[in-house]
This record gives sequence, C-alpha cells and structure tokens, in this order.
Amino acid sequence: MKLSIESAPHIPRPISVQKVMGLVILALVPALLAHWWFFGPGILVQVILAVGFALAFEAAMLKARQVPLKPFLTDLSAVLTGILFALCVPPLAPWWIALLGMFFAIVVAKQLYGGIGNNIFNPAMLGFAVMLIAFPREMSNWLAPRDIAIHMPGLWETLQHIFTGGLSQSQVAYDTLTQATPLDTIKNGLRQGQALSEIRSQPVFGDFGGMGWEWIANWYAIGGLFLWRQRIITWHVPAAVILTTIAFSLPFFLYDSDVFLSPLQHLFSGGTLLGAFFIATDPVTGSSTPRGKLIFGAGVAILMILIRQFGTFPDGVAFSVLLMNSAAPLIDRLTIPKPYGTKGQRHG
Amino acid sequence: MVGNSETISYVDNGKLCQFHGGLILEHHKCESMARPLARPLLPEYLRVSLRLNRGNVSKPVVETGDKVLKGQVIAVPDTPRGVYVHAPTSGIIMEITQRPVASPDADLAPVVCIRPDGKDQWTPRQAVAEPFSLSRQELVQRIREAGIVGMGGAGFPTHLKYQKPAELLIINGAECEPYISCDERLMLDYPHELLQGTRLLMHASGAKEAIIAIEDQVGRVRSVLEKIIREKHYPGIRVVKVPTIYPAGGEKQLIKVLTCQEVPSGGIPMDLGIVVQNTGTAKAVRDAIVEGTPLIQRFVTVTGDVVGEPRNFEALIGTPFRHLLSLAKTDDERLHRLVVGGPMMGYAMPEVGTGIDKTSNCLLALSEEITRHHGPLMPCIRCGECVNVCPQELLPHQLHWYIKGENLEMAREHHVFDCIECGACAWVCPSQIKLVDYYRYAKAELRYLDYKKAKAERAREQHEKHDRRLERLKAERAARRKRHTQRLKDPASARENIAATLERLKQKPAPNRAGEPASISPEGDKSKDNTAETTDNPESSNRTETTPSGKDNNPA
Repeated sequence: MKLSIESAPHIPRPISVQKVMGLVILALVPALLAHWWFFGPGILVQVILAVGFALAFEAAMLKARQVPLKPFLTDLSAVLTGILFALCVPPLAPWWIALLGMFFAIVVAKQLYGGIGNNIFNPAMLGFAVMLIAFPREMSNWLAPRDIAIHMPGLWETLQHIFTGGLSQSQVAYDTLTQATPLDTIKNGLRQGQALSEIRSQPVFGDFGGMGWEWIANWYAIGGLFLWRQRIITWHVPAAVILTTIAFSLPFFLYDSDVFLSPLQHLFSGGTLLGAFFIATDPVTGSSTPRGKLIFGAGVAILMILIRQFGTFPDGVAFSVLLMNSAAPLIDRLTIPKPYGTKGQRHG
Repeated sequence: MVGNSETISYVDNGKLCQFHGGLILEHHKCESMARPLARPLLPEYLRVSLRLNRGNVSKPVVETGDKVLKGQVIAVPDTPRGVYVHAPTSGIIMEITQRPVASPDADLAPVVCIRPDGKDQWTPRQAVAEPFSLSRQELVQRIREAGIVGMGGAGFPTHLKYQKPAELLIINGAECEPYISCDERLMLDYPHELLQGTRLLMHASGAKEAIIAIEDQVGRVRSVLEKIIREKHYPGIRVVKVPTIYPAGGEKQLIKVLTCQEVPSGGIPMDLGIVVQNTGTAKAVRDAIVEGTPLIQRFVTVTGDVVGEPRNFEALIGTPFRHLLSLAKTDDERLHRLVVGGPMMGYAMPEVGTGIDKTSNCLLALSEEITRHHGPLMPCIRCGECVNVCPQELLPHQLHWYIKGENLEMAREHHVFDCIECGACAWVCPSQIKLVDYYRYAKAELRYLDYKKAKAERAREQHEKHDRRLERLKAERAARRKRHTQRLKDPASARENIAATLERLKQKPAPNRAGEPASISPEGDKSKDNTAETTDNPESSNRTETTPSGKDNNPA
C-alpha cells in the first residue's frame, strides 16, 4: 500500500484561481449587457477581439517562457484582462487597438514580469493607458448613447467600422454616430471657459454622470457588491475610492461649482466605479494589507480627481491606478498589521 | 499584568470575544459520534515511541527480552522537560529500535516494541484516597511520574505548566478540527472523571476558577456536565460554549474568546495567569492521582471516508494504526492517505504499522477523491483571503513571497514566529499553495541561523577574550622587563642580584642537571619573573640554567 504523504490541508479546498477570475467575469456581465444596450453591439466585438488577442499573446509568451500552457491559459486571468480592456475602449475602435492594447497588457505588463501573480502594473490599465497616449483620437471617439443617438449602428455596421475604419455602404456619416464622452465634453467646455452648469445642460449628461454611463456605472457597483458578498474582494478598496472621491471633490465643488465637478458627477462618470470595484481591487497589483487597501483606494481617488480637474486627460482612473500600483509594495511594507498578542493588553 | 478577577468577570457576564478570521468548516463529527466508544482487543504488538514533544527522547530502562507489567516504567526522562513512559500492558519487550514515529516528520526515533502476554497484569499502583490533601508540589510530581503530556496534539509535558500558580484554568474541549470527536466522546462518557480531573488541576495550579470550553455544536455535553456540577456542588467550574469557528480550539484563540485577552507574542498563557489543558489530559490526571494509573491509553477517533465504521476507541498507547483501522473496517484498497490528527493540521503517515502515541487524537483515513486538489498549483495572486482568515492577524501571502525569495529576515519582520500553523490560509488559497510548509521551513531555518549566529557570536567573544588576555600578558611582560632593566642599570641592585643567583647555584646539588623543579618551586613567582626576563635578555647568561625549568613551569 503506497500512502500519499502530502502535507495538510487534507480536505478539498473551496476555491481556485480559475473560480476567482470566473466570478469577477460573471460580476461584469450585467455592466457588459448595459453597455450593449446603451452603445450597441460594438462592445461584444471588442470583447471578442481583446480576449482573442489576449489568449493568443498569453499562449505565445507561455510557450516562449517554456511554461505549461494549460493551467495558465485556463485560469481566465487573460480573459478578464481582455474584458476589462474592452470595457474601456470606444465600441467602434479599430481592431488593431485591441491587438496593440493586448500586446502591451499581456506581453509587456504581465508576461515579461513573470506572468500571473508577478506583474507590478495592472495589465488592462497599462494596455489602455498606452493606447490612450499613443492614439488619443481613436480612443476618444465614443458613440452617442441610445437615448440621444440619431442612429444606432447595427452589428454589420459595427463590424465594418471596426475592421475597415469606415462605413462605405452607410448613409450615416461617422461623425453623426460618435460623440465626445461626458468627461471629454466637460474638459473641452472648461477649456473654452464655459461654466459647468452650462456644460451640463447638454444632452449627453444624465442625472449624475453621463447619460447611459451612469447606468453602466450602477451595474459595475452591483457586480462589485456581488464580488464582496462572494468574498472575492473586501470592502476596503471600493469604500476608500468612493468615500475619498466624495470627500476630496466636495471642497473643490463647494468652492467653485462652475469649475469643479460635483462628487456625484465624479462617481458616475468615466471609470470611477469600474475602477473602484474591478480595477483598484486587482489583488496582484494592489495593496494587500487592510490598512494598505484603504490608502491605496484613497490614493487612486485623489489622483483621479487631480488628473480630471488639472490634467490634460479627461479621465484619470487608469493613470491613477498605475501610479498607485507602483506605490503598492511600499504601502504594504508600511502597513504590516500587528498580529495577535502584540497589541498590548486591551483591558489593562 | 492584568488582574485576572477581571478576566473572569467577562465570563460571568457571558460576554465572549472574537478572534480575527477563522473558517467555518463541515464538521464530519457525526460519523464517529454515531457509534459508542470501543476498547480494542489487545493487538499482536505495541509500538511505544520514546520520543515525545519535539525531540525530547526518554531513556529506556528495560532491555530486549525483559518481562514488563502493565504500568511499569519502561523509559525515564533525562531532562526536567522529559516524560516518563510506561508499559501499556504486560508482556515481553521484543525489541528497542529506531522506527518512524507518529510525528510530522515521521522521523526515526527509539521505539519499544512490546508483545502482550494477554494477562494485562498490573504493576502495583499507588492510588491516593485523599487527593486534595496532597500539596501542589506532590500533585505535580505525581503528574510527572504518570508520564502525562498535553493530549490535544502538541504533547507539552503537563507538569511544566504548574511551576507557577495560575488564576484561571481552561479545560479545552473545543475540538475545532473537522472529523475529530474524541474529546466530545470523552466528555459524554466520562463526565465525572473529567470534572474530578478539572478539580485536581485547579488544585495543582491554585486556580479558583475553571472554564470547560466546548463548541456550540456539541449538543448534550453542556447539560451533562452542568448537571454534575450542580449535584456535586463543585465550586468555580463553568461550562462555556464557544462559536464553532476553526481554530477556536487553538490555545491562543480560545483564550481570546473566553477572556478577551491576548497571550503576548512569544509568550505563554501563564503570562496572563492562565493554564490551558485538554479534556483528555484532565482525565489522565484524575486517573493518575485517584487510581494511580499512568498515561497508557487514550481516546482516539478513527474516521474518514474510507472507514466503514467510524468511531472512537480507548486504545493503549502503542496500538498500531493498522489494528485500529481494521477494527473500524477500513477499506484498504481505497486508502490513499492516512492522517494522524485532523484534516487541517494533521500529518500524513507513510505506513500503517506505526503505533499511536500520547498525542494521537485521530486517525483519518482518506480516499484519493477527497484529497484531490481543486485546481492546479498556481502562483500567488495576492488575493488576500489568507489575510482575511488568519487567526493570528498575519500576512500569510507576504510571508510566502518573502520565504520563496529566501528573504527570511523579512519573514521574521512579518511575524512568522507568531504563526500557529493552523492551516486556515492554505485551505482558502485559490492557488493551492501549501503555505504552512513555507512557514515551517522559515521557522526552522531562522532558528538554525540564530543558533549559528549565537555560536559565531560566542566564538567571537572567546576569541576577543583570548586576544585581550594575550595582550595583557604581553603588556605585563613588557612592564616586568622594563622594571628589570631598570634594576640592572642600578649597580647596587644588579650586584645583589648576581650574588643571589650565585648563592642559589651553590646550593644546587647537580648543576649540570639544571632544571629540577624542586630547586626553584619554593620561589615560584620570582623564578617566573626571571624566566620572562631571560628569554628576552641574553645579557644575563649566568641565569640560563634556570631558564628551561622556568619555562616548563610556566602555566601559560
């Protein structure tokens, strides 16, 4: 009788990396559907493109690194990176945006650092940030949301635009399809000296954030709460991002509400809630101590607001996450929790 | 230190604290609790390990071929921390040999193999009729002579816990590991004995209060114990239910739950005036004092998914695993892993012929299906679930990264020595990393490094001391030489010197056999003085004869 002498635990464990990633993807599904509803089928094409490229690059790099393919291709981490990236790019962005974005995300940010678990920067955000800097025009042409769109592109038109860059057979000009994002609109308006109240009267804005955008943001939050209930994320990072966003933007807003965005506008615009629940909570690249997570989330929120208000880019979630990524190891070092038995006596 | 009256007042209020993290696990205790306790027939042989608690090996006092009686001492400790070992039954010593023992490393240690003669004949026992008339010291001495160690798993020699008086005794009946039910069985089957043992331990520790802690999922135990406490009017003993959260039965966690206090890092419960003892230990103490029975048997749960009739046994120490497994109708074909202890902290044994020892609370026989991993081994993704569940509030993933990178000092800085190795982190790890293995490695390695460092430090100190002494001697020699040259320069004292030497030479019986120690020894110090000078002073040729002897006598 040959007995196995592996060490404890000897009973099955409840979770795997694949399951963690799978749950995160599941939590993104409602927001994906909302995205589809408001901006048409472009998001689906972008997801398929990004996931496809991500897996291809992942496989190629694993092969080059002589690492077994199967466990790392099926862990769903590359799939998640692809989806997160796709959620950030305009629905009609040309196909090579996904290709290049995934190259920087998977090859540069992830595999060159040693693959899953070893990367310093959030792959999806790094890919997105590189694309945003390199191709600002392609990355800022968003579709108008369903409620104010003159024309919603169908699947065929979407595919045509993504792969050929134009709409040959369409009567609709590209310019009538696309529109600046709400945050872009604000940035441009402020540059032209308009007051926020004036800018916000444009149809692209909704109750809090941008029309359609705010609903997608809601679904991000609901998906995030699901992840919290599933113990995939803790409350620390989302709470820190949201509360800091409110607390940090409120004084500015009260000081001059014509130049500074309201806390709600900040929360429901751009990538704030996506960042709070899905990006800044990335365990690999974020802080991992309870106090560190609070600092990390607060840092993301503060940098995001500073970039939005004073930087050249309309949104700052990607950049602030990347900046905080680089600070995470230091934050972890400085926030080692005090273990049991070192806190001194509580009733002494 | 905190007043322990305060400690106890928390319990009075019925207020319990929580420890950080922890897990809710499936109990799997009903399987073995469904059947009554059984006493196995005598096995063909017993293998009694002489190594208990972390490398303390007792010295055998019997030899191969000796006939021993039940309860007879077969090994004695050679340190105060060691324990006595007794023959579990009467029979013949077959051999004393190195064999794998039931320990995490399944290491080789001396094992006494006894073939029972079937008579189960006792050696004379010393029962104490009035145990409470014994002094604390006498009680502790008897506990020691009965070979009692902590029976919850760690096997810490019990007598060492009673060196100082305590204020609170905690009887740990919170079996937090799944599958194990031997404490519950014991509490239900021997409630009187348990309570008597508790009272004896209160006497031994001087504690006025005792808490018997049980998990809130063990149904009848509380009412059974409380009924006896009421009927017998045992003062100061309380039964407290604690939430069933793994590892609530860990000593530190249990203290936190019951008293809201934390054992200082690196310290022991006694630092808070608390002694924690397993239920089995309490009963063993009672048996030792009231019956004079040394620790030769224990409750052991035999369970697992390949065990046909899981149950608890009251088995003799040294009973081979094989014997118990077959009595519990284990399916040998499907047996894939045999664990001693629970599924979270237990260790897998390489063979079934080993005997149980004083700490073996459970034999867990598992199939391949149940031990199979949920997913492949992956790199850590820092998900932080280990941080959430760690009852010691450590950063298990950070420890893992540092240890993986051989940065052991950083592991120390991240409090690796506070890890209790409960395995909660490893259980929740989605990457299926055997985290506890890393911490054990780091602890062992750091202890070794510290030992080496201390040794090097000692060597360095010795060396410096040696250097200092040489320097001092050199300085003394220089001073003497200086004194002497001054004396030589002074004509009066030089003449005197020469005269004295000539006088000495005259008295010598055989000048050519110079160097007879006898001739010089009376003037010990002075001659040494001379020696030192002469070696460096060729001028004083008239004194050369004394030189060799002086050198020989020089104790340096």
